[in-house]
Amino acid sequence: AVIGRAGAMAAAMVVAAGGGGDFSDLREIKKQLLSVAERSRERGLQHSGKWAAELAFALEPLPLSELPPPPVLTEEDARDLDAYTLAKSYFDLKEYDRAAYFLRGCKSQKAYFLYMYSRYLSGEKKKDDETVDSLGPLEKGQVKNEALRELRVELSKKHKAQELDGFGLYLYGVVLRKLDLVKEAIDVFVEAAHVLPLHWGAWLELCNLITDKEMLKFLSLPDTWMKEFFLAHIYTELQLIEEALQKYQSLIDAGFSKSTYIISQIAVAYHNIRDIDKALSIFNELRKQDPYRIENMDTFSNLLYVRSMKPELSYLAHNLCEIDKYRVETCCVIGNYYSLRSQHEKAALYFQRALKLNPRYLGAWTLMGHEYMEMKNTSAAIQAYRHAIEVNKRDYRAWYGLGQTYEILKMPFYCLYYYRRAHQLRPNDSRMLVALGECYEKLNQLVEAKKCYWRAYAVGDVEKMALVKLAKLHEQLNESEQAAQCYIKYIQDIYSCGEVVEHLEVSTAFRYLAQYYFKCKLWDEASACAQKCCAFNDTREEGKALLRQILQLRNQGETSSTDVAAPFFLPASLSANNTPTRRVSPLNLSSVTP
Amino acid sequence: MASVHESLYFNPMLTNGVVHANVFGVRDWVTPHKMALLVLLSELGRAGAQLGLLERRRLNRLLLPLLQGPDMALSRLRKAIEECCPHLAGSVHIRLKLMAEGELKDMEQFFDDLSDSFSGTEPEVHKTSVVGLFLRHMILAYNKLSFSQVYKLYTALQQYFQKDEKKNGADESEMELTNPEELDGKMEKEELDGPLREEEIACSGPLSQKQAEYFLSQQASLLKNDETKALAPASLQKELNNLLKFNPDFAEAHYLSYLNSLRVQDVFSSTHSLLHYFDRLILTGAESKSNGDEGYGRSLRYAALNLAALHCRFGHYQQAELALQEAIRIAQESNDHVCLQHCLSWLYILEQKIFDSCVLLEHSVNKSLHFGLPYLASLGIQSLVQQRAFAGKAANKLMDALKDSDLLHWKHSLSELIDISIAQKTAIWRLYGRSTMALQQAQTLLSMNSLEAVNVGVQQNNTESFAVVLCHLAELHAEQGYFAAASEILKHLKERFPPNSQHAQLWMLFDQKIQFERAMNDGRYHVADSLVAGITALNSIEGVYRKAIVLKAQNQMSEAHKLLQKLLVHCQKIKNTEMVISVLLSIAELYWRSSCHTIALPVLLQALALAREYSLQYLASETVLNLAFSQLILGIPEQALNILHMAIEPVLAHGAVLDKGCAMFLVAKCQVASAASYTPQKKIEALESAILNLNEAKTYFAKVDCKEQLRDVLYFQARLFHTLGKTQERNKCAMLFRQLHQELPAHGVPLINAFK
Repeated sequence: AVIGRAGAMAAAMVVAAGGGGDFSDLREIKKQLLSVAERSRERGLQHSGKWAAELAFALEPLPLSELPPPPVLTEEDARDLDAYTLAKSYFDLKEYDRAAYFLRGCKSQKAYFLYMYSRYLSGEKKKDDETVDSLGPLEKGQVKNEALRELRVELSKKHKAQELDGFGLYLYGVVLRKLDLVKEAIDVFVEAAHVLPLHWGAWLELCNLITDKEMLKFLSLPDTWMKEFFLAHIYTELQLIEEALQKYQSLIDAGFSKSTYIISQIAVAYHNIRDIDKALSIFNELRKQDPYRIENMDTFSNLLYVRSMKPELSYLAHNLCEIDKYRVETCCVIGNYYSLRSQHEKAALYFQRALKLNPRYLGAWTLMGHEYMEMKNTSAAIQAYRHAIEVNKRDYRAWYGLGQTYEILKMPFYCLYYYRRAHQLRPNDSRMLVALGECYEKLNQLVEAKKCYWRAYAVGDVEKMALVKLAKLHEQLNESEQAAQCYIKYIQDIYSCGEVVEHLEVSTAFRYLAQYYFKCKLWDEASACAQKCCAFNDTREEGKALLRQILQLRNQGETSSTDVAAPFFLPASLSANNTPTRRVSPLNLSSVTP
Repeated sequence: MASVHESLYFNPMLTNGVVHANVFGVRDWVTPHKMALLVLLSELGRAGAQLGLLERRRLNRLLLPLLQGPDMALSRLRKAIEECCPHLAGSVHIRLKLMAEGELKDMEQFFDDLSDSFSGTEPEVHKTSVVGLFLRHMILAYNKLSFSQVYKLYTALQQYFQKDEKKNGADESEMELTNPEELDGKMEKEELDGPLREEEIACSGPLSQKQAEYFLSQQASLLKNDETKALAPASLQKELNNLLKFNPDFAEAHYLSYLNSLRVQDVFSSTHSLLHYFDRLILTGAESKSNGDEGYGRSLRYAALNLAALHCRFGHYQQAELALQEAIRIAQESNDHVCLQHCLSWLYILEQKIFDSCVLLEHSVNKSLHFGLPYLASLGIQSLVQQRAFAGKAANKLMDALKDSDLLHWKHSLSELIDISIAQKTAIWRLYGRSTMALQQAQTLLSMNSLEAVNVGVQQNNTESFAVVLCHLAELHAEQGYFAAASEILKHLKERFPPNSQHAQLWMLFDQKIQFERAMNDGRYHVADSLVAGITALNSIEGVYRKAIVLKAQNQMSEAHKLLQKLLVHCQKIKNTEMVISVLLSIAELYWRSSCHTIALPVLLQALALAREYSLQYLASETVLNLAFSQLILGIPEQALNILHMAIEPVLAHGAVLDKGCAMFLVAKCQVASAASYTPQKKIEALESAILNLNEAKTYFAKVDCKEQLRDVLYFQARLFHTLGKTQERNKCAMLFRQLHQELPAHGVPLINAFK
């Protein structure tokens, strides 16, 4: 897209290999990764360097002859070499202003980038320092990176003159984003990705700026193998988990099977669709490969928490604490650990610490909200959730948490709004639907409630409660036919899962079915159900009574055919005559959905 | 962590875990603008007696908005001071210049000296005065600054001053010819700065909490009292977003944004803002009250109540009811009678939308009085009166009730309710068909000095009562044929209530109704027909009725009859008596147009009985006119004349011009018909008086431009003149008739058979 750049750049630029998804030449890819890692490091872009290096590590080592040659130095580079070396060491020591001072007037791309970058970082650092300043009412909220505007002016001049390389464009994009000029920033990042596709940072920034699928469609992205990584990442972000998993699988097939980055991303994806077992096993694998990894461990701890795996969580927490106790993720893991042990005040403390370490760490706000909920401190919980929403409006857990808070305050109508928001963000999450259904039930809006439960079942019920609730609703409305259908399906579901977990409602279901068949005079089915009832404590007596009644009636009447069909509730005989298929119809709630 | 925790443990030990987002808790802070104000104050003190009385007065008036308002650029401040006292502006500028171009210690010295104004036996500034408080706030805020912040303040001051200098410089240099190359560079820079600079103009820096509060309360009161003067919805929202960006905990801003979204009828964002506001309020409530639970429990109740109000406003009655039930339940649980009272009033409003019930309302009034909520009580009385008026209760009792509630209003200075009360009286008088009384009440409200005017200086004039009164006024004028005046009033309404505002629908309806009447008078039925759609959109019953009238005028009798029958059933069901009578009249008219006078009579009698029962006097006299006409056609003109005497007085006193004309025409017809049996001498007298009556009818018809009726009158008059042998007059009338007849298309109804 951008032609006619300075000659020095063309020499340094490694042409990215073939079209999208072309992973035939892994060696070439490895070479590119190594060189870009080196170049990122030279410019102080630690994270991009780390990413490239991690990915390169996952590939086969190269023989000496094929190692990428050291970057060619141009005349300009040589001239700036001394200043650059000095400044880089200052930069590494976080003395940004000093680095910038010695780099002023440097013309080479590398030095210029470092010059601008250290000015940017210096501004950011000062901003952070000022925010922490305990007596900061002066220009509260006005605290902003003072350097940004100057940087923008200078960079845009260079940009117009087409003198920026891929890194420079990246920095320009970052500056624009910080100034809330999102549209311009996206354009610049796309350009950066075209000029230097290997730089992961630019792609990552793009990920943060793209909010929906439509936006993604209209981007013209360079056709390189990096695009695959980008797409997989953004699909995960946009909760398009199926697509993301496909992409990652194909990346693994292409030869990146050892990459810890991909493994962790897959684990996160499974976490997002609540496939807990898979996610857990992948995380365990990841821990084995990369035992000192701290990234993503907060997600891991979430999974352990859900499964109530206390010893594992405790081990993880202690382990991470040993590695680095002042990391956001570590605090989060410890918070989860305390929460699992019901020490909620301590948990809240650790989440607060996580927020102190990084105020933009969204998850902690929501988690803290949950802790306050546990402590029955609803107002604090509401505040925490509101903060979470402020950081990210799309945080469905915070919306859900707010809904729960109001539900606890016994305001079912009020919390509808919040549940609806959560539902909009996660249309296929059964928990929101069940919660919505419960609220509608409380408000006596049974039609809406039925819709919600049915839909919850249709999208794959996690807690397996939707059907029972639906059945009970039908029972209330005297729609015995539908109620029986629901119970049958519920029992089938439970049995087909093969879960031996004692389900409280199974006995209720059998009891209802027994009564139902009894009323319909289907003696065989009724007695089968009644026998099942006898297996449960709370329905044993009723089952026995029913059996006796059936026997009596049978003796009075003619003896029916003796061949007893296989129990209908076993999956083998899915005889349910008019089983509604799992059809996902649009959820059309009559109420206004603002 | 589970993303959702299932079990809930209660731990009474831990109630306070609120994260303080606004850790500073400082309401105000020092900015360069504030420093300029401080300089101004100290200069003011120093100038002392040298200032003239006028200048001092001007400055004092200037000070308060400056102290409360948002920060502004130095140039604007200087201009404002210059307008009051040029001499002082100069010295303020010099002092600032000295400080900005001097050293840090100048500023420090300045703040040290500030507190001197309080000392001494006779201090210049009183400690608790507005200025004194401001000074003390500033000194306190300055003393709280940390080392680096003091320096920052100083650099900010320098920038503030330099920006002004630069601007002055730029103004001057514009005159000179500048180096083109330099200009180029400058342009480029400006171009780049473009979007940023725009933002800067919109908000000159973040507002301090005090300034924000002032801004919010000002805008809120403007929204309530005079929407047109408040910021436009878009720009207000922008300001609010800005405010929230800097201070997300400022809950009131969310509420204003809710109000603002209501202005543009945006359900989505208004709900969002309302809920956000209460989420925030729950926090502050919990913090401020020592017994925290009570604090936020209260706001929970009102949150649900407000949500109900919101849904009601957007017409989601079912939703509103659910929300209201919730509010009632919570209020009951916590024994909050005041809140319950509010709920009850809302419940009444909601129930009214669904079905009538006086019991709730009476109960509400009694309870409100018991709990000492005069506002709610008299609001209830007003609703009750309205309902009773529709239900046909005795007028004197209603007026008594209104008078009693008026006493309450004046006692508690509830100016809003006084307005409503007057508007209601206007409407009730109109309902009873006493247009003169209605006119008088309307004028009373319009020329009354609002109580608020004394207090705030903002006239309350975009309330619903004003809209109602003005609409009635417009219609009354239109009825009397003063169309220019009516359209003038409507124009005023349009300005005062812009089309997207809350009460705009009222005048839209009246506007179309007036246009419709005019079109019908002129016989432009197609125009009237096109207006029907607009009326239906605003009021479906009215729309159907008008549609039937148009059909009737176009001689599509059977369609009109079908429509009217349907409407009649519907109106009887919803107990809209006024409309029932109108419909009955129209049906009767349909019958006699089809020459079935005998069938028309019982219908008319039914209408008359209804009108009498509900004391709708005007409709009653109209019915009598119709009855008389039927009797005339049935051949008992003497009887017709008898009952006409009953109706003619109210019609002439309160009726619309058109009706007056019709009445006079009818009287003349009856006179002529009954004259047939008289002696010749008497007959001539009768005919002459009939001619006089016809003349009067003619003037009425001419006023509202009813050419068809004019034509009929002329024809009739010509015949009478002919009978009397006055050829000259007859010919004149005949000529006029001929002219009109050529203009108008002939219609199927025989002339003598038409009344109206």
